[in-house]
Amino acid sequence: MRIEEHPILSFKNEKKIKFYFNGKEYEGFEGDTIASALHAAGVKVLKHSHNHKRPRGFYCAIGNCSSCLMTVNGEPNVRVCIEKLREGMMVETQKGKGVLK
Amino acid sequence: MNKTANVVIIGGGISGCSIAYNLAKKGVKNIVVIEKQYLASGSTGRCGAGIRMQWGTERNCLLAKLSTEFYENANEELEVVHDIEFKQGGYLIVAATEKEVEQFKKNVALQNSLGIPTVYLSPKEAKEIIPHMDESKILGATFCPKDGHLNPFYTTEAFAIAAKRLGVEFMTYTTVTGITTKNGKVTGVHTDKGYISTPIIVNAAGGYSKIIGQMAGVDVPIYAQRHQILVTEPVEPLQDPMYMSFALNIYCQQTPHGSFIMGRGDDNEPTDMRITSSWQFMEEMAKTCCELLPLLSKLRVIRQWAGLYTMTEDAHPIYGGVKELEGFYLACGFSGHGFMLGPATGLLMAETILGETTTIDISNLDKDRFERGELILEPSVV
Repeated sequence: MRIEEHPILSFKNEKKIKFYFNGKEYEGFEGDTIASALHAAGVKVLKHSHNHKRPRGFYCAIGNCSSCLMTVNGEPNVRVCIEKLREGMMVETQKGKGVLK
Repeated sequence: MNKTANVVIIGGGISGCSIAYNLAKKGVKNIVVIEKQYLASGSTGRCGAGIRMQWGTERNCLLAKLSTEFYENANEELEVVHDIEFKQGGYLIVAATEKEVEQFKKNVALQNSLGIPTVYLSPKEAKEIIPHMDESKILGATFCPKDGHLNPFYTTEAFAIAAKRLGVEFMTYTTVTGITTKNGKVTGVHTDKGYISTPIIVNAAGGYSKIIGQMAGVDVPIYAQRHQILVTEPVEPLQDPMYMSFALNIYCQQTPHGSFIMGRGDDNEPTDMRITSSWQFMEEMAKTCCELLPLLSKLRVIRQWAGLYTMTEDAHPIYGGVKELEGFYLACGFSGHGFMLGPATGLLMAETILGETTTIDISNLDKDRFERGELILEPSVV
């Protein structure tokens, strides 16, 4: 789902950006965050809770709640709701709490 | 609501709860613990949560050893509801100056003579224990594999629940407003929930111990000092031991949850009761951590907080009664180490109050050692 019309903001959605989610190719627009591009593509589950492994989705959208931590280009615990989408990004569902390398 | 107790313990941190448990276990009835907020809301719940036997004086080594041995079996002894999360990953204390190298070698000899299995390591050997450290910043290190850290909230709660099973009463959100005495003896405690008459008061009020002392007309030679600490987001297990340096001013551990907890001292801290957080701490802590443990620069900080160290002049606790007021006992001035010494505090204070021979001689840890000038200076404090 995308917001097409908004009373204040305007979305040009001109330039397409290609990225990968769990190895599969996806498309977003310039100006997207990773989370907004995934949301638009119908991806609703961003991570799973540590103890009960329950699905966690797009929630606070301002980088506070840790509901959307994912591995991006090999880096764990990226808050995809505030991380801008860039060409060729490798976005992956994170298993566990992330391994520092 | 007025009542009578045999013992009133002021302070619901690790010390107060441990003393209550030990007294009750020895058969004392009608014990009341008074806590201003909730259990472990003060220094206990704000601490770095480590326990180490690597000390520079025999007294501190023995107190810490007694406590470590207790914590090793605490889940069974206290019949805990929740595991206290005691993780014996060791303490790696790094030496950054020649003076420290010299002192640490003395410390290791002392510790080994007391049965504490510390070893002295080269920077290369130290890096094998914590591979993500920058070993070029250090000259050597000491490591004791039996040191570790545990959860202060679960541990305090475990003592409290065990004490409750033995009949101890806990009054939380209760403030002590005064202490009554008669003919040089303790007679009772005024609180905002009523008066409790009692012949014995134990002052285990942490940073507030001086104020409690003043209520009883006893000058306790301690001062409270803010210490700050921060916690990061969790990651998969990476670091078993507590990493610590006195000269470079850092202690840093990874909790079983995966978050890193780190703190440092600051001699310029005001000696008042404030527990606010400062941006200066955040900046300096991050800088120190990133230099010594570079990999951790990738972690994000979740929050920071502060708590009070209750300092004595010689960085040893004050245990025991006072000559000017019968029935008034002190268990305070832990100088930042009250949590790790909790089990020893409880046992030794219970023995002292009941007039038994103490498991470890604490006669020279009384308040009057400062008047006598018999200080036991501890060289290894962060």
